[in-house]
Amino acid sequence: MTLRRVRVSETLRTSPVATLNPLMDRRKFLKSAGVGLGVGAAGSLVSSPIFREASAKAEPPKLEQYKTICTNCAVGCGFIAEVKDGVWVSQEPWFEHPINQGSLCAKGAAARSKVVSEKRLRYPMKLVGGKWQRISWDQGMSEITAKLQDVRKKHGPDALHFNFSAHQSNENGFAVRKWAAMWGTNNVDFQARI
Amino acid sequence: MAGLAQVFGFGAMTNHQNDIRNSRSVMIIGMNPAENHPISMQHILTAKEVNRAVIISVDPRFTKTSAFANIYCRLRSGTDIPFIYGLINIILANGWEDKKMVNERTYDFEALKAEVAKFDAATVADITGVSKEQLFQVAKAMADNRPGTVIWAMGGTQHSNGTAVVRTYCHLQLVLGNMGRPGGGCDVFRGHDSIQGVTDIGGGPETLPGYYGIAETAWKHWSKVWDVPYEWMLSRFKSKEMMEKPGFTVARWYEGVLLDPKELGQDTNIKAVFFMGHSTNSMSQMDRVKRALEKVELIVDFDPFVTNTAVLPDRTDGIYVMPAATNYEQWCSSTNTNRDLQWRQRVVDPVFEARTDLAILIDLAERLGFKKQFIKNMKGSWKGVPASMKEVKALPEQTIDDVLREVNMGTLSIGYIGQTPERLKRQQQWAHVFDIKTKKAVGGPVDGEQWGLPWPCWHDKHPGTSILYRTDIPVAQGGSGFRALWGPKAPDGQTMLAAEGSAPAGGPNAGYPAQKEYATDLTRGAIKEAMAEGRHPYGNGRARFNSWNIPDPVPTHREPIHSPRPDLIAKWPTYDDVKEHYRVPQPYKSMQKPEWAKQYPIVLTTGRIVELEGGSAAERADWWLVELNPEMYVEIHPKLANDHGIKNGDWVWIESPEDMDGKPSRIKVKAKVTKRVGPDTVFLPYHWGGVFEGKSLASKYPEGTAPYSVGESANTVTNYGYDRVTQMQETKTGLCRIKKA
Repeated sequence: MTLRRVRVSETLRTSPVATLNPLMDRRKFLKSAGVGLGVGAAGSLVSSPIFREASAKAEPPKLEQYKTICTNCAVGCGFIAEVKDGVWVSQEPWFEHPINQGSLCAKGAAARSKVVSEKRLRYPMKLVGGKWQRISWDQGMSEITAKLQDVRKKHGPDALHFNFSAHQSNENGFAVRKWAAMWGTNNVDFQARI
Repeated sequence: MAGLAQVFGFGAMTNHQNDIRNSRSVMIIGMNPAENHPISMQHILTAKEVNRAVIISVDPRFTKTSAFANIYCRLRSGTDIPFIYGLINIILANGWEDKKMVNERTYDFEALKAEVAKFDAATVADITGVSKEQLFQVAKAMADNRPGTVIWAMGGTQHSNGTAVVRTYCHLQLVLGNMGRPGGGCDVFRGHDSIQGVTDIGGGPETLPGYYGIAETAWKHWSKVWDVPYEWMLSRFKSKEMMEKPGFTVARWYEGVLLDPKELGQDTNIKAVFFMGHSTNSMSQMDRVKRALEKVELIVDFDPFVTNTAVLPDRTDGIYVMPAATNYEQWCSSTNTNRDLQWRQRVVDPVFEARTDLAILIDLAERLGFKKQFIKNMKGSWKGVPASMKEVKALPEQTIDDVLREVNMGTLSIGYIGQTPERLKRQQQWAHVFDIKTKKAVGGPVDGEQWGLPWPCWHDKHPGTSILYRTDIPVAQGGSGFRALWGPKAPDGQTMLAAEGSAPAGGPNAGYPAQKEYATDLTRGAIKEAMAEGRHPYGNGRARFNSWNIPDPVPTHREPIHSPRPDLIAKWPTYDDVKEHYRVPQPYKSMQKPEWAKQYPIVLTTGRIVELEGGSAAERADWWLVELNPEMYVEIHPKLANDHGIKNGDWVWIESPEDMDGKPSRIKVKAKVTKRVGPDTVFLPYHWGGVFEGKSLASKYPEGTAPYSVGESANTVTNYGYDRVTQMQETKTGLCRIKKA
């Protein structure tokens, strides 16, 4: 029997991307990127065998791949996100990307955690009597807008200030400025000046 | 950004990161790309290896970037202008200036000459701490190795005279003739992933999208684009006056809560504040931010994570934290530092109960009664989305496309026209055909296009403009002159149009004004007309050494408001107090007290580190990154530490002057004893939050949402001080004192 070295996650993919970096096996990559320490789906990937029969024929399940851009600094590095059953399970280098040619810094290599971090805020909450209380979106939005209408009636539209973000996408940033204009104030700003 | 716009006409990085591969010298001033823009270092290091480019790092701190530099200059924070003027002086004395560039494409070189003459090498050495010999070495390296680029970031801009500082960087590049050519340029590196895009097509309190401003013509233009009557828009505001008056900024909005309305530029305090992807720990004067958050009636924080905002104020109600989706959970585009638009495919649906910003904004508009107007141009894709937004987590891809098309339709001023969703998506699939050095596609359906279709991109066949102000290529291929923004003549009667022989190839070979109404003609007829004649729609003007319409028309040195050199304050004082700036009073001279240098003798500066970013609510909630850089610290030089009896790892208190409140602010952090900083300066990373003046706020987070690492915010002790033009906060030069805790 001929044994060949395979990437640990090979059983999960057919993508050509998987063969692009033969120097680093999956386990080493997971370790160095820290991915293996994660929760959920990623954890289960590490336990696959490192060697298997070269003649294995079973069609491996596919990972969906999406090209995206890191959301940290303004360099604009691309990478490929891999999704299985609606869960973001791994990242791969986008070697052809003209700016970063596949490489990422510590933050970019950890991009996945922005979505899978267990510290994510999961549902709307409000502070009541010094305690955080879970509420529904509908309750939150109706209370917020009722208060806004009240403030507008008493003090006018300039009693609202809106701090938005340079981490928002073009479309969302544009929409915030438009929203503020239609609310009726110029009290709207983001991090460009800080 | 404002500095660049005041010189060249546009507030944007002129060249691109890949283009640094063409540079023969790279001056990095007030910036640390090795940590803050790590991947851009690949291009810088390629220039160093392949071109033998000279890398010059100018910074108060010996950074990880300085470690790669051929020349390192330790500059006292806030003295960039004397340093740059010292260089220009040497360049002029030796006749190294580019006379063609200066004569044919700039305005009022004489004014600059008169100002730089004040800064001989001895004066520069006294103010900046950079020796005469080193100054000459840098000037000669820049002059001998052209083209060269100058790169900066917040180290140059976060000063009370930040706009003036940036203009001198531009002036240096004009004098050296490095503008408008590959390998040259003014390459400001910006901070956030889409900060250039949100600056371009978001806009702050002084402008609508596309830098149109907020005068009546701007409102009429955008009302037309948004397909709503101007009168309706006007009716939404308190008055026409308030509609055309710049609002509060992120830097000082909290004064709108705290100060008496009589002192404000509007007749009411701020009663409600929204945050959307914005942490309060990136704002200076944190104790005042905290008090404002305690006084305001309603705080709403839309964010994927719980930020500092939710835990900083001592209050028992009135805060809502609403889960927003990250950019990975939606289709969208972002514009990187060098104006490249890149498309993001959605990776996963919004997780848990998170919603996208657009879904949230439409829901708010629906409940507040202006949804009909807000979504007018998204109509085409509205099928499939329920009539009520109450349960909608995200919009379909076509709706995002529609928003971008609305941007394409309205943002004519800077040519955000050809970056259609179709082209961005096509580029994403053809990324492999773009050349690494020029960022230009070779073959395939995108043949000839620039990666990211950098603006100005005048129509859906235009390749984009990856290098601004480049006259050796035709407009149709991305050529342009300096923008003719200030009319055909300066107030002194001199021409503001470029000289004969200096114009983008293939068009009229001389200066010309901007095409009439090119920015407001929604039929794009004006743009087509200009393009047909090989003229650039925004004209072919001159860059300005003298920006007559803003404070310090020709930049001059001004000591930081908190200067460690009281002896220099008399000669180089700060500005006069300003009664109203972005709706708040802004004192300068009355805040510049020479005695502070005695009580607070150490210079305080701040910056970023590679593992974290901004307020870092997301990165500190990531245990791999936290493991790499687990806690807040202060960098102290061994001499300073030893003189204070502080050892590496000791807890220290850092106290800053009693600016606005009559009491010093203070933070308790661990000492990192290192020679990266000089003995007169301490450095603080500014990413932490969740501890205030020695007290942890970790227990105030909703259960399970506290980040893995909390720490004092540097911005609790950064001093009062704001740029005279943009109101950017002066976090890079303050004063402090330290003691062992």
